Order: sequence, then structure tokens, then C-alpha cells
Amino acid sequence: MTMHPRAVEEPRSELEGPIPNESELTSGTLIEPGKRYGFFTDTTLCIGCKACEVACKEWNQLPAEDMTLSGMSYDNTVRLSATTWRHVTFVEHMEHGGETRPTDLPGFQSQWLMMSDVCKHCANAPCLEACPTGAIFRTEFDTVVVQQDICNGCGYCVPACPFGVVEVDELDGKAHKCTLCYDRLKGGLEPACAKSCPTDSIQFGELDELDRKARNRVEDLHARGVVDAYLYGAPDGPGSTGGLERLNAFFLLVDRPEIYNLPTAPTRPSERIPAAFGTGLAAMAGLAAAAFAIFAGSQRR
Amino acid sequence: MNERLNPPAPQTPRPLDRPYAGETYYDRPALKPAPWEWLVGAYIATAGLSGGAQLLAAIFQRADRQGSRGVVRNARFLALGGSVAGGVLLIADLRTPKRFYNMMRIFRSTSPMSIGTYILLSFSGATAATAAGEILRGRGRIGRIAEATADIAQIPAALTGAGLGTYTAALLSATSTPFWAAGPAHLGANFASSSIATSAAALSIGERIGGRHDTADRLDAVAAIATGAHVAVSALSDRHYDDEEVGDVMRETAAGRRRQTADLIVGGALPLAAYAAYRLTRRRSPALAVLASAAIIAGGFLSRDATMRTGERSAERPRDYFRFAQAEHLPERHRRDRAMTDRQRSPR
Repeated sequence: MTMHPRAVEEPRSELEGPIPNESELTSGTLIEPGKRYGFFTDTTLCIGCKACEVACKEWNQLPAEDMTLSGMSYDNTVRLSATTWRHVTFVEHMEHGGETRPTDLPGFQSQWLMMSDVCKHCANAPCLEACPTGAIFRTEFDTVVVQQDICNGCGYCVPACPFGVVEVDELDGKAHKCTLCYDRLKGGLEPACAKSCPTDSIQFGELDELDRKARNRVEDLHARGVVDAYLYGAPDGPGSTGGLERLNAFFLLVDRPEIYNLPTAPTRPSERIPAAFGTGLAAMAGLAAAAFAIFAGSQRR
Repeated sequence: MNERLNPPAPQTPRPLDRPYAGETYYDRPALKPAPWEWLVGAYIATAGLSGGAQLLAAIFQRADRQGSRGVVRNARFLALGGSVAGGVLLIADLRTPKRFYNMMRIFRSTSPMSIGTYILLSFSGATAATAAGEILRGRGRIGRIAEATADIAQIPAALTGAGLGTYTAALLSATSTPFWAAGPAHLGANFASSSIATSAAALSIGERIGGRHDTADRLDAVAAIATGAHVAVSALSDRHYDDEEVGDVMRETAAGRRRQTADLIVGGALPLAAYAAYRLTRRRSPALAVLASAAIIAGGFLSRDATMRTGERSAERPRDYFRFAQAEHLPERHRRDRAMTDRQRSPR
């Protein structure tokens, strides 16, 4: 990566305070309210170091959870939760179906699938559409955040999420999920996970820019023989189906989404309201008419 | 030399070449179940019963003003108790109950929980006005004004009552929980017919206690028709869930089996048989009719609770969700998405 021109202005190793617009230096993105930001996670670059999990826990002061071994390869975090907002998944593929491989190495760990799962910050976020108090809102950076001073723990966002991300915490009775480091964005810093990622697997930036980079990366991988690479959560693709439109945090995957614990064709739940409500009211009307006939009819006896 | 593949845009990903074969991530759930306790299932049944009662009362009033006096009175008090109980159940289920009033910060039309908040509020207000008419009946001028107001308020009480009995189906359907999301129309018809059946049964018991067997018989007939409709909807729903590939949870979990028992036996075959026996013996033993009514109400509560639990189980079963979240189950309006997610459906 070429050095940003502003990097020469900041030669010190110890800083007294935050660098203004630090995200320009660390991610090449100037953070401005009114633009749309998100993550492009290129899982072919992930080395499974979990720096993202640690950085997220540290910045957001999230507690540790159950610390036993899960038996799921190197994934002992197991799931996203109210206090885990980044979760790295590990799938130990040894072979890759005898396809052309990008290297001459024997198939071993070079075929492992590793993905850093996170809140998708959907364009038509079901959690936001379900929230009856208005606690979940869309920020000026086009991210989805739960306001902790409004949430009353009704829990409706939890089953609404098609990716099983948001959860209500037992101890404090409110819903929690990734904020895309809203507080850092306001201070001109890129999110903690993206900043700490050593391979730039997690890339933070403006959506148009990320879409462009992602499409180029997929073409590049296809040209190099990794023909299974595709985007999950980009517009017009798996993960953005059924009215969700797109996911602000989208991924480059190389196998079926279900293997990464993602649905291939999720749907926008609020689109089901007219069918349920309409059919219910129609059934009510039909039974009401029958009731009227019975109540009126018996009179003439 | 690099041979660039010629990508026609947009292209279906190669891993989606083959149909979904049941792969999961270490059998881990892909969703989270709703964190609701038994309170929400009890609320849904209570709301359906109260709302249906006010609707039936309004209809009965129009059809037979004199004969409906007892039913209308019972319905108004039943609905009053139900709306208070419903509010208590909902507030108790919040994980931060002291902030219950935040439900009234906004109105969000994409959230059935928000819609329902206002339906419940309007229903409670209208019901309170109708109950005031019953309480102040015969108390001179105030009584006459209250009675007139009550009769006017009966209409919004009936309309919001119909909403109360059905919006809860939208509440469950507008989630990603596979068992709830797979059949929104079926769930709507299910909850509506259960609402009418349970409220007619409850009002019928009230008439039997009051010695008005003629009106009780009419309510029993309504309850029987609604129960028959409910059994039919349940049978159709079970078939539909299998078509959508989320039906295994009905057979493989205790909650799923309880739901079928509640819908088909406790709130289905049992009351219909008891009612048939009552009619065939020429109405000689009202106890049979009361048994039928009690079974309908019990079945309604058991069914709602079991529907909640079955849904929560289905959210924890990754294969149920992944099978449902495939291209072929996308609604018609998202037909275009099918090509993007299933190579077999791709136009090329």
C-alpha cells in the first residue's frame, strides 16, 4: 500500500491525542456525515488471527463470555451475541473438490475457510423495521445502531434479524449489537476491527468504493483460477435477496453461504405483514358474517 | 497468459451450482429465538378472546337488541379485564419494564409490535367507555349519557377488537423465525378463527351461568363454526409448512407435537364431538356444551403457547432455516433474486 501524503505529518510513535481524520491514513477513507459506510470483508485474506474480535471487545469494553473449548476448530467464540460483536468462523476444508488451486502447496490449511462474522448493517434492516420504540435507528453514516437509553428490551429485533445477530442481554435488559464503532466514526477514526486487521481482510470505506474494490477482487480471483469466489451481500446477489436490497457489511466467500452459517436467500420480514393481517381480517369478516346470520336467524323461531 | 473469464453480469455464483444439501456450520443455529416467556403466548390468546368478544357483542347487538343484553354486558367486562390483563402481561415480559412507555414514542408501520401497541391502546379506551355504560346503567342522567356513549364506543371497540385478534399473526410472521415466517396468511386465518372461537365459547359459558340457554346455543353454534374453520386452517397450515420445508419441527419437537394436539384434539375434535353430542341428544345436557366451550378456550391458550415454543425451536434448527431461505421459497415479487441465488434458475 502506498503511503498516504498525510502520513509524513505524523511521524511520532506516541500521540497526545487522536489524529484528525485518522481514517484517511489508516483506511484511505475520509469519514463525512451523509455518506454511506460499511465493511467489505474479503475472506480469502483472513488468517483467522481474531485481532478483530479482541479489538472490538477492547474498544467497546465488552465482557468475556464462556471460555471453554467448543470443539469447532479454532472457533471458541461460537456465536455473535449481546456481548460479542465480531465472531471468526473456521471451517477446515482440506480439499477443494479437485479444482484448480491457486498455489502448488498440498491442500492443507491453505483451504481453510475463515470469515469474520459481524452485524450486516442491512440497507433495509429488519431489526430497525421491527423496533417499536425507535431505539434502533439509521445513523448519519448509514449504519444501524441501538440507542441504549431508549431500548426497553421487548426483544422483537431478535427474531426479526435474518442473520441472528442482535440479542437482548440478560443482565442489563437491552438489545446490543455491533455499532460499526459509531463513536469512533464521529471522531474520524475507522472501526476498531478494520483498523486492527493485519491483512486488510476487513476493509472499511464508502460503499461505492467498497463495491468497486470487491468487484475487481472477484474478477481478479476468477482470472487466477479461484472461480468459486463471489460476493455475499452486494446488491443483486445472495444475502441481499427478498427485499433486503444490500448489506452495508458484505463479504467475499468461496463456498455456499450455509457453510459460513449464512442464509442464501433471506427475506425482509415486514413484507409479510399484509398477507398475515389481510388474511386474518378477511377470516374475521367471514366468521362475523356467519355470526350475524346465526344471531339474527334464531329470532324468527 | 491470464485468460480472463468473460463474466456476464450479474452471474450466479458457482458454489450455488448444486442445490442445498443440508450443510450447516457445526449444526449451530443461524438465528436467535425470540426471548419471550410464556407471557407473550398468554397475551396473544387473551387479546384474541377479548377482541373477539367485543366484535361478537357488536354483531349480536345489531342482530338482536333485546336478546343480546346479557352477552353485551359480559363481553364488555370480559374485554375490560382482558385489556388490563393484556397490558400487564406485555409490560411484565419486557426486559426493562420501567421503560414500557417508550412503546408510544413512535408509530412504525413496518412493526406489528408498534401497530399492536396502538390497537391495544384504542381497544382499551373504547372498551373502558363501553364498560362505563354498563356500570352506570340506570343511574339517572349520567347513566343515560354513559349508555349512549357506550353504544357508540362499541363500534371502535369491535373494529380494534378484530385487529387485536389478527395483528398478533402479523407480529409472528414479520420475523425470520422459519416456522412463523413460512405461512403468514395461514397464521392470520388461524389466529382469527381461534379468536372468534374462544370468545364465542367464553360468552356462551357466561350465558349458561346466567340461565339464558337460547342465546348460549346461538353462541355455541358460532363457536362450533369457528372451531371447524380453525381445524381446517390448521390442517392446511401443516401441509403448507411441509411444502415450505419447515414442517419437521412439528413432528420432531415436543412443542410441535403439543401444538398439533392442541389444534386438532383439545381445541378441535374434543369440543366438536361434545357439541355434536349435545345437539344429537336434543340439548338435554348443557354440561356437554359447557365442556365443549371450556375445551375450545383451553385449546386456544395451549395452541398459542405451543405455537410460540415451536417457533423458538425452529429458530434453533439451522437446516429448517436454510431450507426455507432458498431461492425457490422467495416470494413472487422477488422472482428476479431467484436467478442470482440458484444457478439452476439462472436464465443462461
